[in-house]
Amino acid sequence: MMEGAHATPTWTTRRALMAASPALALASGWSGSARAARPITLGLTPVFLDSDIVLVRQIEAYLSRRLGRTVQVVKRRTYREISALLIAGQLDAAWICGFPFVQHREALSLVAAPLYRGASLYRSYVIVRRDRRAESLADLSGDIHAFSDPDSNSGFLVTSAALAARGETAAGFFARSFFTYGHRNVIRAVASGLAQSGSVDGYVWDVMAELEPALVRATRILRTSEPMGFPPIAASRQTEPSIIAATKAAFLGMDRSTIGQEILATLRLDGFAPVAPSQFDSIAALWRQVREAG
Amino acid sequence: MSARRRMRWPLAIKVPLLVAALMIGVAAAISKLVLLRIEATQAAHFTELGGAYLDGLSTALQPALIRRDPWEAFDALDRSRTRYSGVAALRVLVVLPDDTVLAASDPLPHPLGSPAPPASHPDGDPTQLDTAHGTVWIHRAMVEAGVAIGRIAAEIDVTALAAERRAALAALVGLNAALTILLAALGWLLVQRMLRPVLRLSDRLAQASEGRLDPIPEAELPPEDTDEGRAYRRYNAAAAAITEREALLKRLAEQERRALVGRYASAMAHEVNNPLGGLFNAVRMIERHGADPVHRARAAALLERGLTGIHNVVRASLMLWRGEVDDRPLAPGDIDDLRYLIESEARRRDLVLAWRQDLASTPAIPAQAVRQIALNLLLNACAASPPQGTLRFHAVTEAGALILTVADDGPGLPAAAEVLLTGAAAGRQLPTNGLGLWTVARLTAELGATITIAGPPGAAITVRIPDAAERRLADAA
Repeated sequence: MMEGAHATPTWTTRRALMAASPALALASGWSGSARAARPITLGLTPVFLDSDIVLVRQIEAYLSRRLGRTVQVVKRRTYREISALLIAGQLDAAWICGFPFVQHREALSLVAAPLYRGASLYRSYVIVRRDRRAESLADLSGDIHAFSDPDSNSGFLVTSAALAARGETAAGFFARSFFTYGHRNVIRAVASGLAQSGSVDGYVWDVMAELEPALVRATRILRTSEPMGFPPIAASRQTEPSIIAATKAAFLGMDRSTIGQEILATLRLDGFAPVAPSQFDSIAALWRQVREAG
Repeated sequence: MSARRRMRWPLAIKVPLLVAALMIGVAAAISKLVLLRIEATQAAHFTELGGAYLDGLSTALQPALIRRDPWEAFDALDRSRTRYSGVAALRVLVVLPDDTVLAASDPLPHPLGSPAPPASHPDGDPTQLDTAHGTVWIHRAMVEAGVAIGRIAAEIDVTALAAERRAALAALVGLNAALTILLAALGWLLVQRMLRPVLRLSDRLAQASEGRLDPIPEAELPPEDTDEGRAYRRYNAAAAAITEREALLKRLAEQERRALVGRYASAMAHEVNNPLGGLFNAVRMIERHGADPVHRARAAALLERGLTGIHNVVRASLMLWRGEVDDRPLAPGDIDDLRYLIESEARRRDLVLAWRQDLASTPAIPAQAVRQIALNLLLNACAASPPQGTLRFHAVTEAGALILTVADDGPGLPAAAEVLLTGAAAGRQLPTNGLGLWTVARLTAELGATITIAGPPGAAITVRIPDAAERRLADAA
């Protein structure tokens, strides 16, 4: 899709930058000890690209240059795997969902949050096939429903909370439900007819509508949630503060470098901004609501 | 009737038809073999390809089936769509052991949890590739640690295979048809070429029935060391021999005729001599009693009768024996003249002559030929009749044709003579005891006449001679 035309020159540039990174590390003072030689690890779950290897390499190249150390992106299939690694200190930082953050708030510290359309906010969508005659969530009773991830706010929690508000549970309301472990996969599941409805990240759906219009056109939005805190970059409490600070600076300054702009353009983001834990209070409230509903 | 007609088809048609029939048979057998081979190859190839396809799918789907994860199963199917473009899978189903669908390549008609369609059940013969319906189901049972965890069923589009078979069949039919037509045409040309000398000889032999057997000119003869050359030369030799025989026969016939002339010259002399005594008496009567008008008139009448008798005999003999070609059509007088000629022979043999002539018209038939036919039959009847027997002659016209009947009280016509008169021209043997009946046979054949023979007792030969108009019609037919 996007990888084609400019992937090679970008890659060449990145390789050159990566080759030059030890020199940059020395210049920026990140040198000396054997501990400093350990790569900084950044966890990532699938965003919306089917194959995001180019994006991963771009992020690695950008952060390595900005941090003066090798930065390694670690990808896992599920949010839970990334959260577990982050909490265990196996990852220095990770781009996680707001729901895992509120679940493990005491073990994590916020680094930054993306700016999407000028704010660090996004919505959750409940989508159905375009030709589906349904008007509200109530019409989806008995559906086969596709969730994104059990630790996803937009891809699970929001819909579960909405059902809890109606006194329902996902298991009882839907005939069957399954997890696709990716917002793009939720769109594919609904578009293909594997699922009759799905819970998806509104940001991913919007960007996908631009990137893969044929796929997204097969679906439509049935329900939109209130704006909530965009999935943030969080660091483990075990991560060195200096690394957290450098990482934060790198993300906040992403819009001021060429590679950073390429990354933001790929992700359709305006940039990154500081974020407070209170940004995710509404998600915490939803979680509470679901837990209370049993 | 049709079978007989087929037998009569010329070789130039029969051989190409046989070649074509043979080619069609061989082509059908070869086509069938080729198609069976293509079918077997396709089936083997399909089994191999389908097996590889299912191997790949089963590897990707095994974890999903173990976990019963619909998304993972669908994702594997969805990704395989582009990876296995060589297999035209129309739909693929991942089916759980309870026969419900876990995932389908097209989930809309086969939603999660729906029963698998009956067609997807692995109950057919997997070694048979039936392309009649355009699709074939292939299956793979999925087992983990000895436990059945489900199965994969894929419906494969095999119209391309069927199209390949049709294309092969069309190519075979086209090629074989072209070869058949080509070989049939070659066969026709070859047979035409081979039969050319035979046909030419056949034409020549056909002319023989018209009395001509012309040799092939020397300039047109092919080399002697060829079959054609040898055949033509043999024909020429045969034609020469037959022509020589014809000439010999004509000479013999002429000699026979002259012998007859001699015989009848003496008969005629006798006929002339008989009234001479009376004539001399009349002359003497005139000399002695010429002044007496009564005697003179009696003598004159006597003279006239005697001279008239002589005149008739002489005239008939002259007409018959003058040896010139006489194309004059038949007149009643020609029949009457015959009577004069045969009367003396009948009298000599002590036979009663019953003569009847009922010619109502004069048919357009050469008089000389009729006289020769009738006279020869009459002479033959005279020779066959016992003394004091009756020799009957009747001439009549019927619908323009002349009917001559000659009957006697003899022992009947010998078989050889009967064959000579009524048999085919080719079967006629030259008689050893006179050429009379042979001459009759030759002349009647020339005139297109038919001969019927009755008896014994006795023999009655009836000759029906058509007139010129009827002969032309018969020739045209």
